[in-house]
Amino acid sequence: MFRSQLASVNAVARRFQSSLAFASCSRRSLPSSQIASTSQTPFSWVSRRTYAEEASQKFSRAKPHVNIGTIGHVDHGKTTLTAAITKVLAEKGGAKFTDYAQIDRAPEERARGITINSAHVEYQTDSRHYGHIDCPGHADYIKNMITGAAQMDGAIIVVSATDGQMPQTREHLLLARQVGIKKLVVFINKIDQVDDKEMLELVEMEMRDLLSTYNFEGDHTPIIMGSALAALEGRDAEIGAEKISELVQACDDWIEIPPRDLEKPFLLPIEDVFSISGRGTVCTGRVERGIINKGDEVEILGLGEKIKTIVTGIEMFHKELDRGEAGDNMGCLVRGIKREQLHRGMVIIKPGSMQSVKKFQAQIYVLTKDEGGRYTPFVQNYRPQLFLRTSDITVALKFPEGTPDAEEKMIMPGDNVEMVLELVHDVAAEVGSRFTLREGNKTIGTGIVTKILETA
Amino acid sequence: MLRSCRRTSLLYSAPRFYSSEAPGKPNLKLVAELRKLTEVSVTKAREALTATNNDVKAALEWLEQDLIATGAKKAAKLEGRTANEGLIGVCVLANGSGSGRGGARASMVELNCETDFVGRNELFGKLLADIAHTAAFISEPADTDDLLVPCALDLLNDAPLISHSDPQATSRATVSSAIRDTIAKVGEKISLRRAVAVAREPFAARDLGLRVGSYVHGSVGVPTQGRIGSLALLALKSDGLREVLAKPEFMTDLEKLERSIARQIVGFDTRMIQSPTGEETETALYQQPFMMFADNPNGETVEQVLRRWANERSLTEGLEVIEFRKWTVGGEEVSSTPSA
Repeated sequence: MFRSQLASVNAVARRFQSSLAFASCSRRSLPSSQIASTSQTPFSWVSRRTYAEEASQKFSRAKPHVNIGTIGHVDHGKTTLTAAITKVLAEKGGAKFTDYAQIDRAPEERARGITINSAHVEYQTDSRHYGHIDCPGHADYIKNMITGAAQMDGAIIVVSATDGQMPQTREHLLLARQVGIKKLVVFINKIDQVDDKEMLELVEMEMRDLLSTYNFEGDHTPIIMGSALAALEGRDAEIGAEKISELVQACDDWIEIPPRDLEKPFLLPIEDVFSISGRGTVCTGRVERGIINKGDEVEILGLGEKIKTIVTGIEMFHKELDRGEAGDNMGCLVRGIKREQLHRGMVIIKPGSMQSVKKFQAQIYVLTKDEGGRYTPFVQNYRPQLFLRTSDITVALKFPEGTPDAEEKMIMPGDNVEMVLELVHDVAAEVGSRFTLREGNKTIGTGIVTKILETA
Repeated sequence: MLRSCRRTSLLYSAPRFYSSEAPGKPNLKLVAELRKLTEVSVTKAREALTATNNDVKAALEWLEQDLIATGAKKAAKLEGRTANEGLIGVCVLANGSGSGRGGARASMVELNCETDFVGRNELFGKLLADIAHTAAFISEPADTDDLLVPCALDLLNDAPLISHSDPQATSRATVSSAIRDTIAKVGEKISLRRAVAVAREPFAARDLGLRVGSYVHGSVGVPTQGRIGSLALLALKSDGLREVLAKPEFMTDLEKLERSIARQIVGFDTRMIQSPTGEETETALYQQPFMMFADNPNGETVEQVLRRWANERSLTEGLEVIEFRKWTVGGEEVSSTPSA
């Protein structure tokens, strides 16, 4: 019964070394694409997507951009609805009609090296420009959130009037919560297949109850009833096209526009620090958000420091400026600070707008080996390098307190996990900050901060 | 505020149905109640109440009858679709030597659906737990060389479903009818893809023991269900095995080791226990560094750890992994070749 046993220590030892390579992690900086700020993504995404076919059309920044998605049961008409929206808006000149077959393909795409299945369309209303995504599964929406490929600001929940909410509708709402969507719009589809109007009322009532259960404002959430198919086939306008217009209007009114980068408090991640004789210390970097004026008071945060100072000069392309804003690559002269006090990885911010954190909880996606990630699983206390903006810090990964059998749990490539990250040095971060985890020269994971646990 | 208005208006209008509408016109409140009880669609709930003249109890019976026909119809309609999501479920009824009577009885089942939304739903999880329990329960100890035997799916489909949470409960449902019921509720194709089970009476030889180890990765709610699962069988051989197995601390350690082995199989690209030709390969379990075993500071291989573990606990002839199965949702089968 027992087979003869064969020793093969060498191969194994070699492999073990490689899987422990994070111990000798290099401190190389990330390619900029990997830490690209989320601010520019929504625009470039959508415009790039249609570049090949419609290069003649220009993308206008005049309208605020909002990302929404459709979530619902496979047979409730998500794709039909999306197609119907483009059709109705195309008639008003706000979209290019995208038919069912084109949307339904949900092609694989890569964002930050991660493979995601999702279909995108874009359209605009009188007041907004929408990027609309549709993913086949829970995992794809989570990946979307973590990578920030298309951060959803709101979603349309699609429910069929014939079925009403289904057992998995709960999972749909939980997902919306998890990816940080605050406001939903509900579309009750296929109402032409229900002859009893009382039943529609019941579907609506149940939906409002369920929304309230999951802390979406059930009483105020717009619920539109119509038939996406009627709109798509151009019949029965009163339940078709008109309802689609109503739905889009509800999105305009109810879903909030995410604050634009210029409106957010100032943040400049320090990339480099110089000392210029006769003038003082200059920090360079690309402004992630907000506006800075010469003479503004700022705070420099991170790596154990918290210094208040004043910006005495702003420089771009060797020219002096009075004002810098999000997207600018600039040099920033700070008063009374020695070069030795500042390091790459710190941030210059509007005083009090951020905190430096030592420990936080995050949702992490661990890259598969096909995506260039690890081959093997890891366990608690794994220590990769954390890259957040320009900083590069060793971090220990642990399971959140109260996780059963935490010491026995493992994390495999391809997993989505919620973990607690303990940093060796503190770094400026907040809920929603994105980061990557690297080991050696490999990106092994990417994540988003969900909860701050300990500040410096 | 708004909602309360709506509620009252409904209540108001409800009694009106009886007087002015045709008899049997379903009461909205009852439709809602019926849906809470059964999770059937609005249309179905309404139909049931119409047929039974607003009698909830009768409507429940009507639905049960109706599910047999419509569930089958729905299932047939969805037949052509692909179901690549889902969960692997493991059920261990008897761990083997040292626990209970000493027999081994366990199963692993893959149940597929179309989206991971349904896969995360409680109904689906419960169905899988029940099927896994049933598969483990109905397997007959067979005198085959392989200990892990694939369950015949048609047999399993016709088997009466045993509730995992309450195995004593009597139910008229079979595995296939329970699957059809769930299809009718969630409206997605659900299919039982594969099942494997081990069922062994205690060994006659006093110095030989068999243990079952299992691990499931990627659980959402239930720890015995996830995206990747493994069942591993370990054999122990030693003089005075009974006495060793009677020690509680030995059993604690043994269970820890079993879990580690099952985790190792899942975590690494494990395709066999030992390389048949003796060459070095990372897909052979015994040649992998045993990273999933906590007490392994020097990075020893699985084989070395097993030998050390057996020595430390004076098992005279040691401990071996003799068979395993590893499944990934929608993936291929990985199984060990049985030991000679």
